[in-house]
Formats: sequence, structure tokens, C-alpha cells
Amino acid sequence: MAVLRLVIGRIFVSVLTLLLVSFIIFSMVEILPGDVASRILGRDATPESLATLRERLHLNDPAPERYVRWLGNIVQGDLGNALTSSRPINEILGPRIFNTLMLSLFAFAIYIPLSLIPAAVQALNRDKTIDHVLSIVSLILVSMPEFLLATLLLILFVAMIPLFPAMSLVDDSTPFWEYLRALALPGMTLGIVMAVYAVRMLRDNLIEVLDADFIRMAELKGLSRRRVLLRHALPNAMVPTLNVTALNLAYLVGGVVIVEKVFAFPGFGSLLVDALQLRDAPLIEATVLITATVYISANMIADVGAIVLNPRLRSS
Amino acid sequence: MAVAQPPLTAPPQVLGRFWRRSPMSLKIGGLILLVHLIVAATGPFWAPYGQAQMGAGLPLSPASFAHPFGIDQLSRDVFSRVVHGGHIVIFLAVSGTLLGLVIGAVVGLLSGYVRGWVDEVLMRFVEAIISIPFIVLGLLAISAAGPQLAGEPVLVIFVVALIYAPRVARMARSAALEIVTKDFITIARLRGESAWSVMRRELLPNATSVLLVEFAVRAGYAPVLVGSLGFLGFGMRPPTPEWGLMISENRALLIASPATVLGPGLMLASLIVGLNLFTEGLARILGRTVQIASR
Repeated sequence: MAVLRLVIGRIFVSVLTLLLVSFIIFSMVEILPGDVASRILGRDATPESLATLRERLHLNDPAPERYVRWLGNIVQGDLGNALTSSRPINEILGPRIFNTLMLSLFAFAIYIPLSLIPAAVQALNRDKTIDHVLSIVSLILVSMPEFLLATLLLILFVAMIPLFPAMSLVDDSTPFWEYLRALALPGMTLGIVMAVYAVRMLRDNLIEVLDADFIRMAELKGLSRRRVLLRHALPNAMVPTLNVTALNLAYLVGGVVIVEKVFAFPGFGSLLVDALQLRDAPLIEATVLITATVYISANMIADVGAIVLNPRLRSS
Repeated sequence: MAVAQPPLTAPPQVLGRFWRRSPMSLKIGGLILLVHLIVAATGPFWAPYGQAQMGAGLPLSPASFAHPFGIDQLSRDVFSRVVHGGHIVIFLAVSGTLLGLVIGAVVGLLSGYVRGWVDEVLMRFVEAIISIPFIVLGLLAISAAGPQLAGEPVLVIFVVALIYAPRVARMARSAALEIVTKDFITIARLRGESAWSVMRRELLPNATSVLLVEFAVRAGYAPVLVGSLGFLGFGMRPPTPEWGLMISENRALLIASPATVLGPGLMLASLIVGLNLFTEGLARILGRTVQIASR
């Protein structure tokens, strides 16, 4: 019961935070220079047409009223229309979110072996040369901005060994194989960034577990090294790793923004940057709010997971 | 009773001893940082070409002895531009981090000391701002600032501070919560000192090592922020030789002349590696653990 109460409390806090985030986003977009009506009409604007459009978009209403109306529509699942294309935002989002989900899946598929294998190698060869070498490599990679890593991969896999396309332009008609090739470079970038973040923690966790009594016991029973590692050590090191993975998921919502833009991948992240560049207020509000929702949910999952999996956290 | 003080050692000897005792990461990181600082401070005086000087040679020339990082589309010497950019990147990163640290520390320490509803409201806001991924928050803030301010160094500094202040505040608050349990805080409160004075004279000195490490970690990531904003076209404007912006500009030349991208990339990566190594060493000396590249 105590656990349930903690979890419900955590969810309640998340919803409250999200509400506050929506307020912050709305206020920031409100102060965007130039009002929405003049942005839609552009140079053809006459004072009369501006006035009519303002009336139609309820721009003359006080800001708090508009905030409440906007929030009410969102809760009912209506994100409004984009300014630049005047299409419903829900319609625009569909394919973009699908692409980003595919990209994230691809990145996670790369992330898992790329974090587990080096961490296991390092933990088993603690303080040997290979451990130090891998530590240095991961320190260098962790210091690499996403856009730089993406650019290095471009040099390697486009300029030097032409394996993948430099631009990940995909649409409905892209064949599956081409789609996968388009995912390769952005997926690799995100996978590597997430993996180096996890590897350092996973190595330390594994070392801690390998020192534990139950591992000594398993070794003394005469089990093979392989079996000790796979059946006894790894599962016990997984708990903190799940937490790191949830945090990586939270990272991903910000990470896709830069990486998708580098490869011109038509996903959710590049939609967000485009919306900001075009000052498309409703689209900015929708995309930033969705980003924050995913971020908050991922962090909540990380916390709830930690509470459920680690009884020691329950008392506090 | 006066305790016999050990004789003061001459500064060079102190430095020597400090050097021998410090962790390897601090030494290597410190050396890399020193090289970067020297280049940033003196570079504009010895760079072969001006920061936006055209006519350095044939556009798109690959790397050569005379032009180690090649020549870009506008026939500018990329090496000179990279050298000129050093102080810009370091200045933006350090001042943004410093501003964020000061704001965050004041808000966090006060909030943790006064508690009550002020603390509750402030921390809800802090949590909310942290829930917007920092690159998204940065882009949003820059759009909100409008075209008049776009490309101004002040804007980049403010955005870095805006991103860091809430994260520092959360850290400072938890440090303050630990310090307020000490007796000397109770005594200061009983003396009738104001919250501001308690914060400045009691909390701040006791949170120095936490804040120092926090500064180092954040400063290590700040060049990434500055570079990412520049790369996406939301940071400094051309022809500023900011490294992220240069990488974005020269990306089209990737196949003809990879050096024009690798040059600024190498500088940016080595600066961050240096900062991170230094931070790790510093944290070890201060007896703290850090998560490098905390995002």
C-alpha cells in the first residue's frame, strides 16, 4: 500500500508539473514578436483584414481566457491548426511521430549491445589495459556533441565509405530497405550517445555486483565465468540500468531535435525546429508540449521503476 | 591555545606538491585547458588571416601545410577562423554558466533556507522548466527574444543561464537542506540575522565545494549548448567564427574538404574533453562523484 501511495503521489506531481509547463510554454509563445494575425497575412495585410482575422482567432480576448480555451481544446485532443499550412496539427503530427518512433526503436536496438558489451568487458577486466582504453574512449565520446558525432559519422560512412545516404529524406513511398538505410546514421548517432552515457554507470554497477557475496558463492560452487556473468551478475546489475535507460528515453526527446535536423529526417524533432523557425505559434505550442509530456513521463517511469524495484527507496 | 603553524612554503613548491598529488585526469585536463586558454587569449594576434578575411586561397582547397584546416567556400582560411573563435566559444560558455550558477545558487540556497510556500512555488517552477529538454528550451527562448536580439552574444549567454539556473537551483537547494540542520545556522537565526545574510555568510561558504563542482560540470557542457545553438542557426550569426556555426556552414564541403569540418570539430571536442577530465579530477580532490555530461 505504501508503494501504491508513493507511485500515485509521483503521478500527481507529474501532472501538476505538466500543467505548469503548459503555462510556461503559452506565456513564452505569447511574447513571440509580432502577433499571429499579421504573421498569417504577411505583406498583404490591411488594417481591416487584420482586424477581422484577429476577431476570428479571438486574439482580442484577454490572454488568461485564451490560455484556458487552448488548454481545454488540448485536453479534448484538439491541437488546433498550424499557421503556415493551415492544416490540423493532429494530421501533421501523425507521420512525423511515426518516423521518430521508428528512429527511436532503431537507436535503442543499437544502444543495448553497445552499452552491455563494453561494460561487461570492462567489469571483467577491471583496471587492466582494455578497461582503461574503453574508459578513455567513452570519456571522449561522452564529450562529443550530437551534431559533431553525426558529422563524423557522415565523414566516415558517406564521404569515405559510401554506405548510407547523407540526407535521410523519407516519405510514404520509400521502400522498407531504403527506409532502414535512411535510419542508419541518425539511429547510430543517438544509439552511441545513449550507450556511452549508460556504459560508465553499468560498468560500476557490474563491478559492485561482481564483488557481492552471492557471486563469490556462485564462483565457489564451480560455475563457469560465463554462467556467473550471464545468470547471476547481469540480472542484478539490470535494476539501475533500467533507470538509466528510462533517463535515456527522456534524453531522446531532446536528442532527436538536433540529430533529425542534421540528417534532414522528417520526424517530430525537425518539425519542432521548423515550427520555431517559421514562428508558427500553435505548432510550437503543440510540439513543445508533447516533448515535455514525453520527458516528464519518462522521468516518472524512471522514478516509479526505482521505487518498485528497490525496496530501500520506499521508506523516504 | 595557539597551535604551531607549519612554515609557509614558497608558492612554486606548493604548486609542485599539488601537481604531484593531483589525479591524472586533472593533470591531462588542465594541460588541454591551458593550451585552449593560451590559443584563445593570444590567437587573434598570431592567426595568419583575419577572422572573416577572404581571399586566403582557392575555395574548397583541402588541408595543406599553409592551410591546416583547408579553405572554405568564401575562400577564408579555416585554421585562422578556428583560432579566432576560441575566445568567443570560451567567453560565451563561461559567462553563461557563471550567470546561471549565480542565479541558481541564490534561488536554491534561499529556497532551501526559508522553506514554506515560497520554496514550494519556486521548486515547482524549477521542476517545470527542467521538464523542457534544454535544447528545446533554448530554441524557444531564442525565438521568443525576437529577431532584434538574434545573433547577439548577450542572448546566447542569457539562454545558457536560463537553461542552467533551474538545474543549479535544485542542486543548491538540496545542499542548503543539509546545511540548515547544523547548529551554526540555528545560532545565526537566533542572532536575528536576515535570510539574505544567513544565505551569504553561512550557507554559501558551506556550499562552495558543491557549487564549484556544479560549475565545472555545467561549464563542461556549455560549449555543447553554444555549439548546438549555432549549428541549428539559432546562436551566433555568420561570419562569427563560432565552432558549431562553422561546422554547420562547412558541412556541405564534407566530401571536397573534410578538414574544414574536422578542424573546428577537433577544437570543440578537445575543449570539452579537457573540461570533463579537469572536472573529474577536481571532483575527486573535493571528494565528490560527478556524472559527466549530466543532461
